[in-house]
Amino acid sequence: MGLFSSLYNKVAKFFRPQEDDGEASKSVATNRLKLVLMQDRTNLTPRILEQMRSELIDLLSRYVELDKELLELNFEQEGDQVALMLSIPVIRAKDEEEIEAALKAREEQNSKSEGNNEETESDGDSESNEDSDEIIDERTEEEKAEAEKADAIAKELQDVPTIIKKKKVSQPEEMGNNPFKGDDNSEKVELESTTEA
Amino acid sequence: MTGRVIVITSGKGGVGKTTTSANIGTALAKAGHKVVLIDTDLGLRNLDLLLGLENRIVYTIVDVIEERCKLKQALVKDKKNPNLSLLAAAQTRDKTAVNAEQLKEICDTLREENDFVLVDCPAGIEQGFQNAVAGANEAIVVTTPEMSAIRDADRIIGLLATKEEISSTKLLLNRVRPSLIKSNEMMSVDDVIGILEIPLIGIIPEDTGIITSTNKGEPIVNDENALAGKAYRNVAQRILGEEVPFLDLDEPKGFMAKIKNAFAKLKVKV
Repeated sequence: MGLFSSLYNKVAKFFRPQEDDGEASKSVATNRLKLVLMQDRTNLTPRILEQMRSELIDLLSRYVELDKELLELNFEQEGDQVALMLSIPVIRAKDEEEIEAALKAREEQNSKSEGNNEETESDGDSESNEDSDEIIDERTEEEKAEAEKADAIAKELQDVPTIIKKKKVSQPEEMGNNPFKGDDNSEKVELESTTEA
Repeated sequence: MTGRVIVITSGKGGVGKTTTSANIGTALAKAGHKVVLIDTDLGLRNLDLLLGLENRIVYTIVDVIEERCKLKQALVKDKKNPNLSLLAAAQTRDKTAVNAEQLKEICDTLREENDFVLVDCPAGIEQGFQNAVAGANEAIVVTTPEMSAIRDADRIIGLLATKEEISSTKLLLNRVRPSLIKSNEMMSVDDVIGILEIPLIGIIPEDTGIITSTNKGEPIVNDENALAGKAYRNVAQRILGEEVPFLDLDEPKGFMAKIKNAFAKLKVKV
């Protein structure tokens, strides 16, 4: 039996088309190119895109509970138009009270942050004086901040391609037809907005 | 007579604009149409070399614009085909020696007495590109299945879309290597079209014959046996409005490969 199956495998391997050998360099190129062209066409850098993503999460999570990790943001070209595709797994719908509470919290936060801004502006100097023990040199702190910023950008750059990869898994067409039907507990919402290219 | 003015452009250099211009021009002329090729790559002219006309150039496009000669005097007739002529670029000047209006005027004059005016555009998106595009009403964007060439082509397609005079923009995919596409190491024709989303006018396979034809100063369309030559002849036919199927480059050549392919197809059906 063993001899037969190994012989069969050998024969089968010979006749198998060569296409299925993992992720080939062409799909890497296609994905990288799609990402870079999306940026070229829209003037959205990975950084701005990430900000857009987080603001959208903020906005939408007031109304529904989302799986933030699985949120996908994508641009697709259809003829002359660019479509912004947003696919968000919904864990559950919020009830009315929760939504109102979230909206209230948002309002409070808004008024608070306005107040905060004034505060920080007024006693910004004294604060930095208090913390002077920790800060050895102002320049090193600046450099640190810059390095952190660069790290963040690098991280974002790494993150963005994974958004595109996930796209393939989630079959947006199906979701578009049937937005609230998911195969696990989470549900998916498809938002679509079109803009002139 | 109002001929068609077609600009051949790419953004990136070295993808085969000049080779494409020379071959399409030659093929159209062989099909009996009157064709003028304009080299707008001032300071870096090469179209004369590909046509084998480098020793016949007396006047250039700059001489015409600066009125040192008449337009007709500057047109160099092809050695073989009297239907084909070349308006050469000036080698000693740069792109600023010509402006868009001047080039448009030349194109407008030439189209009155020719079926086709093919404008070979320089690489880049600056003055040289703007000049070359100015007189055209159709465009062929040349690219290869490489990321950098496709990205630049996308940029060019975007720029061409803003030009009202250009009514059609088509894609010519050059230097395609079927064996690499088969092993998933090169983007396929469908991949490229999926990204750039403009209609295809030709697929030209990588062909070592291009090197020898350039060496000799004879476009590969004159070689009846060369695959790239056939592909370029097909492009010319499509420009003339004929429906010509794209060459099937995937056809395996060896006997074993054919058997293997047959079984692979069988497997898909099962």
